[in-house]
Amino acid sequence: MTGAILLAAALAAADPCAPVAPAAERDPAAAAAYRRVGDEERAAGARDTAAVAYREALARDPSDAASRDALGALCRAGAAKRDPFAEGLRLMDAGDPRGAIAAFQEARVGGPDPSAALLQGICEYEIGEDRKAEPLLREAEAAPAHRDAARFYLGLVDLRLGETDAAAALFDSAAANPGFGPMASDLARAARRSGKLVLSFLAESGWDSNVILLPTGAAPSGPVGDGVYALSAAALYRPWGESGPYLRASGVLHHQFQITEFDLDGGSGAAGWQLGPDARHLSAEYDYDYRLLGGSPFLSAHRLLASGALTLGDVVLSATYSIRFESYLSSTYAPFSGVLQLAEARAAWMLGRSLWLAVAYHVGRDVVDQAYAYYSWFEQGPRAELRWQITRDLRLGLQAAVSFRPYDVLDPDALVGVKRSDTYLDGTALVEYELGDRWTARLSVEALRAFSNAAVFDYGKVVPMLGIAYALGL
Amino acid sequence: MNVAGLLLLGLSLAAGGPGADGHLLTGARAFREGRYDEALVEFRVAQNLGAPDAAGYAGAALVKLRRPEEAVEAFGGVDAAGGDALLDYYRALACYEARLYLCADRILAGVGERSGPRIAEQARKIRADIAAELAREPGQGAIDWYLSIGSSRLEAGRPALARAYAREAQGLSERRRDGYRRSDAAALLARVERAASARGGR
Repeated sequence: MTGAILLAAALAAADPCAPVAPAAERDPAAAAAYRRVGDEERAAGARDTAAVAYREALARDPSDAASRDALGALCRAGAAKRDPFAEGLRLMDAGDPRGAIAAFQEARVGGPDPSAALLQGICEYEIGEDRKAEPLLREAEAAPAHRDAARFYLGLVDLRLGETDAAAALFDSAAANPGFGPMASDLARAARRSGKLVLSFLAESGWDSNVILLPTGAAPSGPVGDGVYALSAAALYRPWGESGPYLRASGVLHHQFQITEFDLDGGSGAAGWQLGPDARHLSAEYDYDYRLLGGSPFLSAHRLLASGALTLGDVVLSATYSIRFESYLSSTYAPFSGVLQLAEARAAWMLGRSLWLAVAYHVGRDVVDQAYAYYSWFEQGPRAELRWQITRDLRLGLQAAVSFRPYDVLDPDALVGVKRSDTYLDGTALVEYELGDRWTARLSVEALRAFSNAAVFDYGKVVPMLGIAYALGL
Repeated sequence: MNVAGLLLLGLSLAAGGPGADGHLLTGARAFREGRYDEALVEFRVAQNLGAPDAAGYAGAALVKLRRPEEAVEAFGGVDAAGGDALLDYYRALACYEARLYLCADRILAGVGERSGPRIAEQARKIRADIAAELAREPGQGAIDWYLSIGSSRLEAGRPALARAYAREAQGLSERRRDGYRRSDAAALLARVERAASARGGR
C-alpha cells in the first residue's frame, strides 16, 4: 500500500496537470511572485516552465484563481506535456514526414534550432519539397555538429535538381565524416555521372554463338557463331533535373566480324516529360527509332510510352505501358509491320544495404496486317532481377525471364504448319567494376533459349561480351 | 563543481535577504537534480525579488532547457563582462547554441583552466569545432542570415539579441576579403543602440 501511494505521489509530481497539493503554510505574496514568473514564461512560449510556476503559486495560495485558470488552460491545450521536437522525432520515426515537419516548425518558433532545422529539411527532402528543404539544411549546415549531415542532404537535393557539380562537392565534403563516408563517396561519383546533360558511351566486343538463329539440331551450312563488336552512345538532357521535360538521343552500331548481313545500326530520339522525382513520378514520352540491318533500311518505329513509379519505404512500385507503330522497311520483313503494345508492372526491394531485388510481369500484344495475321501474337511472363553491390567498386547483376508467346492463328505456310507457340527463357549475368568516377568495366553473358512447337523456331544462343563504359554529367 | 555547487557555496557565505536566497537555494537544488524547469522558476523568482546574481543562474538553466536566445539575454548579452568561470562557460554555451560562434569562441578563450579540467576540455573541443568551421571564408548566405535574424529580433523588441547577431555578422564580414555587408552590420548595430537608448535599457 505504501509503495503504491509513493508511486502515485511520484507520478503526480511528474505530471504538471495533476492536482496541486497545498503547501504547509499559505503565502499569497510568494504565490504572486510565482504567478508573475508563470505569466512571463507563458508569454515566452515556455509552457512547461510556466506550468511549474503556476503549480508553485497554487501550492502557496489555493485561492489564486488566475494561476488556476492559467494552469487549466495549459493543461487543456495539452501543451504542458508536449515537446514539439520530441513529437517531430516520433512522427519521423513513424513514417509521417509531413506531421514531423509541422512539429519541427513549431520547435523552431522560439529561436534557432539547428537540430530541428536539419530534421525538418530531411523531411522536406523526403516528400520532394527540395526548394523548402534547401534553406533548412543551410541553416543546419552552419552548426558544426550538423554540418556533414546537412551537406550530405544538400548534395541529395542538388543531385535531384540536376546541379551535379555542386552535389559532387557537397558529397566530397560530407565524405570526410565516417558516418557518411562510403555513401557520400558513391554519391559523389554518381553526381559526376549525372547532371542536366548526361553523355554515356559503351564499347564492347564478344561472341554470339548463334547469329543466324540456327534451329536446335539443324546442320549448319555456313558460319553460325561469330565475333561481335558494338559501340553505343546516348545523351539525356533534363534541363529542370529529374522532374520536368527531357530529351534523349542514342545511336548504336552492332556488327559481326563475318556474318555482316546481320549487322544492326540505328538511332533513336525521344522527348518526354516527367512529373516528380525518379522515386515518385509519372512520365510520358514520344520516341522514334530507326534501324538498318546489314546496311539496308530495316525498321522505322514511332512509340508512345507512359510510366509511373511510387516509393513506399524500401519498396519501389513501377508500371510502364507503350504502344509502338512499327514499319519494317524491307520486303522480307514488311509482313511484320504492325502495332506492338507492351505493359509491365514491377516491384523492387532493398534487401539490406547492398542487395536489391526486383520482380516484374509483362504482357505484350503484337498485331500485324490482317493478311499476315499468323505473325500476330500475345505474350506474357515474369521476370526477376538481382543486383548485389559486392564492394564499393564491384557489383553483380542477374536477370532471368520467361515469356510465353502463343500466336493468333495457324500459319498456312507448310514450312511451319502449326499454330505457333513459343516459350523464351532469357538469362543475363553482368559484372561491373568501377575504374574511377566515370569509367566502368563490364563483363556480361546473355543466354537465350527459345522453345517452339515449330522446330524451325527452336534455338538457343549464348553471347558473352566484354566492354568499357564512360559516363559524363554536365 | 557545477552551477548548483557554486551557488550553494556562495549562499553559505553571502549575507543577503532570506527571501531571494531561499529561492536561489531551492533553484540550485533543483538544478543539481536535473529539474531545470523548476530551477529556472526559482531563479526567476529570486531575480524578481532583487537577487543580483540570479540572472546568470537563470541563464544556465535556460541553456539546459535548450532556450539559448533567452539564455543570451539572461546573461546580459554578448558584451557583459566575464566573472565566474563556470557561468562564463554557460554563457559561451548559450552563444554556441544560438549560433553566435565568434561570441562563444571569445568567451571560451577566457574560460581557460579557471573552471577546472573537465570544463576546460569541453571548452577546447568546442573551440576546435568552431575553428574548423571558421577556417573557411564565411559565406554570404551566413552573413545574410545573421543580419536577417538580428533585424527581426530588433523588431521584436529584443535589443540584446539583435546586438549579438549584428556583432556576429560584423565579425564574419570582417573575415571576408570583400567585407560583404559590413556597412549593413554597422547600420544594424547603430539601430540597436538607438533603440536601446530610447528604451533606457540594454
